[in-house]
Amino acid sequence: MVAPGGKWIGRLTRLQDMGYEQEEFAEFYRASKDSCLKAVTAVAGDRYLAEELVAEAYARAWTSWVKVRKHAAPRAWVVRTALNLGVSWWRRRREVPLADHDAAIPADTGGGVDPVLIAALRRLPARQREVLALRIFLDLDTETTAKALGIAPGTVMAHLSRAVAALRREVPPAGSSTSGTSTSTMSTREAIR
Amino acid sequence: MNEHDDVICQVRESFSGLRMDTRVEDVFARSRARQRRHLAGLTATAAASGAAAVALTLTLGPAPAHSGNPAAASTAPARTGQSSSGPVTLAAYSVTSGPGHSTTLTLRKGALLDPAALRADLARHGIPAKVTVGTFCRSTPGAPGGLGQVLQPSTLPDGSDVMVINGPAIPAGTELSIGYFSSYVRMALIEDGAPLSCGSASGQPAAHVTPSGTPIRKTSGQ
Repeated sequence: MVAPGGKWIGRLTRLQDMGYEQEEFAEFYRASKDSCLKAVTAVAGDRYLAEELVAEAYARAWTSWVKVRKHAAPRAWVVRTALNLGVSWWRRRREVPLADHDAAIPADTGGGVDPVLIAALRRLPARQREVLALRIFLDLDTETTAKALGIAPGTVMAHLSRAVAALRREVPPAGSSTSGTSTSTMSTREAIR
Repeated sequence: MNEHDDVICQVRESFSGLRMDTRVEDVFARSRARQRRHLAGLTATAAASGAAAVALTLTLGPAPAHSGNPAAASTAPARTGQSSSGPVTLAAYSVTSGPGHSTTLTLRKGALLDPAALRADLARHGIPAKVTVGTFCRSTPGAPGGLGQVLQPSTLPDGSDVMVINGPAIPAGTELSIGYFSSYVRMALIEDGAPLSCGSASGQPAAHVTPSGTPIRKTSGQ
């Protein structure tokens, strides 16, 4: 038999759970939003579009938080969702011919990132960009990257190697003060682990 | 050190300044808006199913006076045409005729906007526009004046931006530039065929409509 106050206690517990989940999501958002934005910008090549896509992906993550919080790599889920949204967005956009005005050259779509690097990233095949973004900005290992993208671990390593080689050819080295002095350096040995 | 270290380091360093500006409260609002739209869609589907069931019952009920010509066909909603005054409603926005000769554009927060679709819908209402998402385009060197006569912005309680656009007041040879961002909308008049400067971070917008309903802000050129 259920006690008279049982229904109210149940409601209060649910409210407490909701508050806890909201706090938990907010913490996840604060801790991961910048790295997810960087990863999506690296793939999409447009910082402002990337912010829209990432914001929408986080909104969907919150809607499905019960599922996403148990995901092996929730940040990868957000990035993957944002990239899928981007594919849909570009597909819809292609369906309408662009008028003369749309030929305008967008200024600084990289949001301050070296335009030479952005251009070089755009020239990489999409899969190489995705691997590079997940490995560099989300710090995912080969196994998790492979699972997130639905490809084999060996393919991840091959894509990363090719992407790095292409960037090395196309992007001039940064000044000596940048190269090798960062505390956040990830070696390729770490990257291909 | 591995030969690739410097490239990986360079990529990381180059992106190190990127910060996500969207607040977590906006993400929650976006999520709630999605759920509301989803619920509204389900309700509309249920209503349409109910109406279809009623129509089917009426059609299959008493014998029709003109067999083979169901009355339901004449009551089907007409397809929006070039001069239609009916509402065009999509997830992220709606474009409706009125008040008067004006057109009302409502932009809802928390939805991915399809710029080509909005541009096409505004064109159907006689409003030439360039619509961009996450970036904003202006004529160079300066925006044409007259935006204050064209645009009247306001905000609904749910945070949606409402813009009453006086289409006939748009000066000849110009069109509206609408820049849609996650938390605000920028609008300006641009000259047909003029060089455009597009971006987000730099420069003062010609008009800035925030979700809180900040009135239109004119630049020195207006």
